[in-house]
Amino acid sequence: MSRSLSRIMQSNHTRRELARRGAAFGVSAPLLAGFAGISPAEALAQDGGTVQLASYNSDPAPRARMEGAVELYNESSDYTIELNTTEHEAFKLAIRTYLASDDPPDVLTWFAGNRMRFFSSAGLLMPLDDLYAANGWEEAYPKGILAVSKGRDGSYYFAPTSYYHWAIWYRPSMFEELGLEIPQNWEQFLGLVDALSEAGKIPIAIGTLAPWTAAAWFDYFNMRVNSPEFHISLCDGEVPYNSPEVKAAFEPWRELLDRKAFLPQPEAYSWQDAVTPFAQGDAGLYLMGRFIVDQFPDELEDDLDFFRFPTITEGVPVGEDAPTDGFFAAVEASNPEGANDVLAFLGSAETQQWFVEQGGSPAVHQDVPLDIYDDITRKGVEMLQQSDLIAQFYDRDTHPEMASHGMAAFIEFWNNPDELDRILDELDEVRQRVYESES
Amino acid sequence: MATTTAHLDTGEYRKKRNWRPIRIAFYYLFLVPLLLIWLIPIFMTFLTAVRSLDDITLNGPFSWPTSFELQNFSQAWTQGGLNRYMLNSFIITIPALVICLSLSSLAAFSLARFRFKGNLIIYFTFVGGSLLPFQILMLPVYRLANTLNLYDTYWALIIFHGAFQIGFCTFVLRNFMRTIPGEIFDAARIDGASEFRIYRQHVVPLSLPAIAALATLEFTWIFNDYLWALILVQRDELKPVTTGLASLQGEFIRAYNIQFAGTLIAVVPTVLLFVFLQRYFIQGLTMGSGK
Amino acid sequence: MAETTLPTRHTGVSGSTHKPLWRDAHRLTPYVFLILPVTLYSIWVIGPMFYSVWMSFTNSDGVTRQEFIGLDNYQRLFQDDIFWTSFFNNIKWLVSFITIPIVAGLGLALLLNNDLPGTRFFKAGFFSPMVVSSVVIGVIWSWMYQPFGLINEMLAALGRDGMPIGFLADPDLVTWSIIGAALWRQVGYVMLLYLAGLKNVDKTLVEASRVDGASSLRSFRDIVLPMLQPVTVIIVVISIIDALRSFDLVNIMTRGGPYNQSNVLAQMMYIEAFQNYNMGYGAAIAVVLALISIVFIFAYLRHMLKDEMEF
Repeated sequence: MSRSLSRIMQSNHTRRELARRGAAFGVSAPLLAGFAGISPAEALAQDGGTVQLASYNSDPAPRARMEGAVELYNESSDYTIELNTTEHEAFKLAIRTYLASDDPPDVLTWFAGNRMRFFSSAGLLMPLDDLYAANGWEEAYPKGILAVSKGRDGSYYFAPTSYYHWAIWYRPSMFEELGLEIPQNWEQFLGLVDALSEAGKIPIAIGTLAPWTAAAWFDYFNMRVNSPEFHISLCDGEVPYNSPEVKAAFEPWRELLDRKAFLPQPEAYSWQDAVTPFAQGDAGLYLMGRFIVDQFPDELEDDLDFFRFPTITEGVPVGEDAPTDGFFAAVEASNPEGANDVLAFLGSAETQQWFVEQGGSPAVHQDVPLDIYDDITRKGVEMLQQSDLIAQFYDRDTHPEMASHGMAAFIEFWNNPDELDRILDELDEVRQRVYESES
Repeated sequence: MATTTAHLDTGEYRKKRNWRPIRIAFYYLFLVPLLLIWLIPIFMTFLTAVRSLDDITLNGPFSWPTSFELQNFSQAWTQGGLNRYMLNSFIITIPALVICLSLSSLAAFSLARFRFKGNLIIYFTFVGGSLLPFQILMLPVYRLANTLNLYDTYWALIIFHGAFQIGFCTFVLRNFMRTIPGEIFDAARIDGASEFRIYRQHVVPLSLPAIAALATLEFTWIFNDYLWALILVQRDELKPVTTGLASLQGEFIRAYNIQFAGTLIAVVPTVLLFVFLQRYFIQGLTMGSGK
Repeated sequence: MAETTLPTRHTGVSGSTHKPLWRDAHRLTPYVFLILPVTLYSIWVIGPMFYSVWMSFTNSDGVTRQEFIGLDNYQRLFQDDIFWTSFFNNIKWLVSFITIPIVAGLGLALLLNNDLPGTRFFKAGFFSPMVVSSVVIGVIWSWMYQPFGLINEMLAALGRDGMPIGFLADPDLVTWSIIGAALWRQVGYVMLLYLAGLKNVDKTLVEASRVDGASSLRSFRDIVLPMLQPVTVIIVVISIIDALRSFDLVNIMTRGGPYNQSNVLAQMMYIEAFQNYNMGYGAAIAVVLALISIVFIFAYLRHMLKDEMEF
């Protein structure tokens, strides 16, 4: 590996020289660099060298935050970060080509949990145990999050930076007008749904064009009916999908479907499209992550609040979906020291606090004070801190292929609830195939 | 001739002459509404591009707009990085075009003019290859670019597009060159010209209509490619306009308005090219039809 | 050397001298012209194609493993429900693409094949969907198909009662709905090709037949249609290829959903290879897709070969 490293550095060096000379002749450095296969930042880099950071933060606000953080870092460090942003969905598909190439990026954005473990098990990620020890992160980060930052071999591979909560969102003005109350258990929730229907509203808005919104309902039903630990074992492929416990998780779902509680034809809507009836006051509830606030029209944001997904089975530990985002480093990174330095920067309390102050999701580092959050966010963080277990969300907790079949199955159930048994049997066949080849 | 002019003076012809204004009226009466309905999605594109995102979210896409934001276009240009991405698209497309057209015309000349072993096989390989679904090439080409150290450079896209389009262009040019009359070659050979001279001085100039037509089509295809750019290029500053536009679409927020505005800007080069070269385009296209 | 029927053919390549091939500059010439293009094409197109075929016989996941497993991928493929759903959806796409755009495109081309004022605008207008990116087309048509989108609203305004039609939600309708959006784009393209073809139809022949008393319909059928045949063949082949290649609209409008009902082989391959990390399996799907294309390619090549032989 050191041989290939020196080869890369050598060719980088000559390529950099060429680019510098070309720039001296007035030929645009980026142009030349693009041809030579190095970045313009690299062509004119400082002594510490560049750190390539590949990011999926393509939304305007997160992107601005990422760019701001990069600027902050570059000002005060010997290394220079060069940021490359890819559209979010495309990044998820392209990341494998990035990591598997001979010259992968040094640092990449990604998710914690099994989606990260796929890469760590393939030996593509840099172990971060030393980094954790040096920065005291084992004490600073919540236990649940530490668990999902480890690879299967027990080493740390992931540097988490932010997470956000999921909940059922509602319009306080509507509740006041109709005299509705926050439900604490399932019976009350069904009562709420009925009351909304009677008032002529669509009880629950949802868009399942991208099926992960349906997976959210599955996560919560499974965690509330059975238990969060059971849910995680299911995601790890240890429990059959056609077991009686899993079937039981679909019963409350069935109750909602029978009451026609959901927006009709949800497959025709993206989740953003489904915000429209919710914002217009035609729909009463929306199970979604905290980022719904960003899509919600600004002038109505004061009339938006949430409550925890209600208890179904009494006495079951409380699990919440709280997808955790962060960074990892490629094991073949051409600048490992720089990568470590950047990760330390991103994992520090100061940087994470800065992100939050710019409007970002809650920080993972527990030294970040709670009072800097706006009310909604703080309420969400407190809810998470009171929970017993944090899950990453179905498509991050389970194997990607299992996830895509699982989510398709949820939609099929949605359309044909009577076929549940067959659907779960077929889903379990997939589970056996996927997890058998995994071990 | 007498019989035909007599024919022309019959009532039949006169009926046709009076018919024309009515036919013309029906022509427009039918086409104009049809076109307007046909273009509804295009109107929607423009409409969405000038609204604010809150307006679209709150009122739905088909509602009467409550906002008018021309700055979406400038936002797409600067914040969306369109200036950079457009330049990249040109940097990639033009050299790829040059490679493809020059090599294809060489190959087409050889296949059209000479009879030799393997002529038909090579020709059909070019034709067949151009019809392959790209999925079958995705991963191997990515691996190849990696191995050759071309991954994440302009060259990866330039060389790949240049190489892949050789198939289609050879197909068209070869058929076109076969329609060139043989006397030209005989005369040139009597003058002692080498084959390459004949190619350069006679064949290429005569093939210009077809080459121009191909240039237009290929420009559109390469310029608007999305998937190869996604697979072969990683860094932002190399991305062409297609992937660049896609990064305006995020995980959480879909800025439809800015994305559509950006798309409209990105369409301009293609449209201009079509407008200016449409004469060649129509002419050159039928040349490849194997007539 | 008296090859008058082949004005552009240069004979005398075979056996005119007794030098070995590599010494004979004369006979080498055609190969010299071909060196660069053939090399480049082999490296970047033909080679990768064979590599994909080989990969379809492995269990590659693109990153960690790549072991030979014979026909296992294909066996799994033919037992996979999603494969068959996608396959039959592809048939729907194929049939739609080789019928409707040709009829509609030809009709529009005949209608617009004149010099009346404004015709240029009509031509450009009908063709304009081709230059708009798939992302925009997918999003806008999705909006139009929504339960309270433009189409359902129009139907309601025209007096239709009842539940909105689930264009994208109803498993029976979804593929046809996406095809509708794709056809909207394709018709203009075919129209343009036919307009080009019509330019080469000899007007005097048509006029002569008219003067002889043939009705418009008759002269169309007997004179114009046959002269359009070469263009039609090209259009049919292009339509087949486009129908099989299409996956951008499926990807954008429904991701192949609901639960894979609108999936097509191209989309399935993409998901298997790049999302589920089943590179070998994805390669097998790609090979099947390529084979289907090749079947039609052979049909076309046979037709062209007949032309070659006629020379």
